[in-house]
Amino acid sequence: MNSVHEGASYLISNYVFPNDLHVHWSMMIVLYPYLSGLVDGAFIVAALYYVFGVKSLKPIARFSLIFALSFLLCVGMPVMLHLGRPERNLNMLITPSPSSAMAGGGYLFMVTLAVLLLLILFLYRTFLVKQQRQSKGLKRLFYQVLTFGSDNLSDEALALDEKVIKFLAALGIPVATIFHGYVGFLFGGVKANPSWSTPLMPVIFLFSACVSGISGIILAYIVIKRFRKEAVDTACVRTLINTLFGFFILAFSFEMLEVFSHHYLRSGYHHMVEGLLNGPLFISFWIWQVGICSLGPLLILGWLCLLRVKDSAFVIGSAIVSFILLLQVLFMRWNVIIGGQLMSKSARGYTEFHPEWFDKEGIIAVVFVMAVPFIILFILSRIFPLWMEGKSEAQGAGGK
Amino acid sequence: MQSTYNSHVKRIVVGLIVIVALGLAGKKLLAPKSFGVYGHYRADAIEEAAAIEIRHGTNASCLSCHPFEAQIHLSGKHSTISCEFCHGPYADHAKNGKKIGTLPVKTGEEIKILCLRCHNRAIQARPGEVIKTVIMPAHLEEQKVKTTHICNQCHHVHAPLRYINHAKRIVGMQEAS
Repeated sequence: MNSVHEGASYLISNYVFPNDLHVHWSMMIVLYPYLSGLVDGAFIVAALYYVFGVKSLKPIARFSLIFALSFLLCVGMPVMLHLGRPERNLNMLITPSPSSAMAGGGYLFMVTLAVLLLLILFLYRTFLVKQQRQSKGLKRLFYQVLTFGSDNLSDEALALDEKVIKFLAALGIPVATIFHGYVGFLFGGVKANPSWSTPLMPVIFLFSACVSGISGIILAYIVIKRFRKEAVDTACVRTLINTLFGFFILAFSFEMLEVFSHHYLRSGYHHMVEGLLNGPLFISFWIWQVGICSLGPLLILGWLCLLRVKDSAFVIGSAIVSFILLLQVLFMRWNVIIGGQLMSKSARGYTEFHPEWFDKEGIIAVVFVMAVPFIILFILSRIFPLWMEGKSEAQGAGGK
Repeated sequence: MQSTYNSHVKRIVVGLIVIVALGLAGKKLLAPKSFGVYGHYRADAIEEAAAIEIRHGTNASCLSCHPFEAQIHLSGKHSTISCEFCHGPYADHAKNGKKIGTLPVKTGEEIKILCLRCHNRAIQARPGEVIKTVIMPAHLEEQKVKTTHICNQCHHVHAPLRYINHAKRIVGMQEAS
């Protein structure tokens, strides 16, 4: 910088408004869309089987729904940890503001939960009725509640169940899509933040949600099967990887399109967004999100999907690519949410984010929030067996 | 109880209707009484907020009883700073024009902490053109005083440059350009 203009350059650079210094939406707000994205993606996998009849996905169809439920039950947790005062949570539902996306989201969450829960109960009804017949006392009562007091397994009843399952799964697609689209919309709707305020935001969130959910299912499936020393259904994993490739191409293209359109339009705050991506976010955006975690998986997915790969190598490759893509989506959420807040409204300077260990939104809390869905998954797996292969599915689980 | 082929579906539908009805009833019962009278908020909140006792009296209230401090405060660089910012709220000190309590007096290290609340250069958000900022103890070393010095040993807290300008006048010191 020319020394003559040093004073002026000081005035126009690196000035952060006092209220922009602290990053208010921190790691819990990164986890919130991450968890809801996993739900969305897992549901899409189940819908591919139950609605669109992709038969090869049968081994993981039920698992995806239980996986989705485990994460859905925890979606509110990071938001409550962030906001504090969880007892005020219901106020939003008692007096919802028609202009509040958050209030709408509260209702949307309940609808999503109801659809998912009912779908699972209908799918497992045959199993639950059998359990009810075999058990006594409190356990019997528990199964009676889960089967809505009906032990009718006649062909007529199973045919009706099949129709209901198809209806609920079909209804679940728009519900899950709107639920996660709303999460992206929350960020896209923040007019004050130039890196968020784009109509592409819900779309980007939606596709990356599908990527993370499918990756989560693939990785969890392979890890659990390996852990239990059971065979991995490679036809199923191949279908998942093909689907993942498609969704990831879309997700990554939209992520890049957003950057390029910002760059080409050079709109009002472009200099800030560009400075952000090339400055404070250079490592986490360009190196990690785009380089290692996007271009890397594109190459691996290309190898897996376009070339003939041996089954054993395919499974290992799938687990690796799923893990990297789970990281990619986490980096994407981080770069959008934390990154977006590093710009000051002064449009002159960037602040820094320092994660803490013991804060209620700190690293320990993040580990805890991410561990709870797996604990719930384990508990649910005791009630709803995750794998039904080898056993006859009286109602055909969708009747394919 | 004998279950028919669709009894569970019927129960679910009835159950959902009951849940929605209970939700609506709960919404009606739990919503605050005065909610929505004027807009999407509790009308009572206005009166409740108005009834909260005022804690801050502004500088006009303080300076009306402290003319000596007023004269110094208004002549210096701190003239726009609120008295209550450093001394505490007016409501803890006076009520209806009468003294009801003594506000704590800051001494020693407390003063240093108070000053650095605004004058610390570590505060990135503060432009140097508006508020003079320093790094401690580098500032004390530059001024060739002991690093144990407290800010008010050189600076009058109400008019920070009062003593310094006075001293300069006495010794006829010129600022090094």
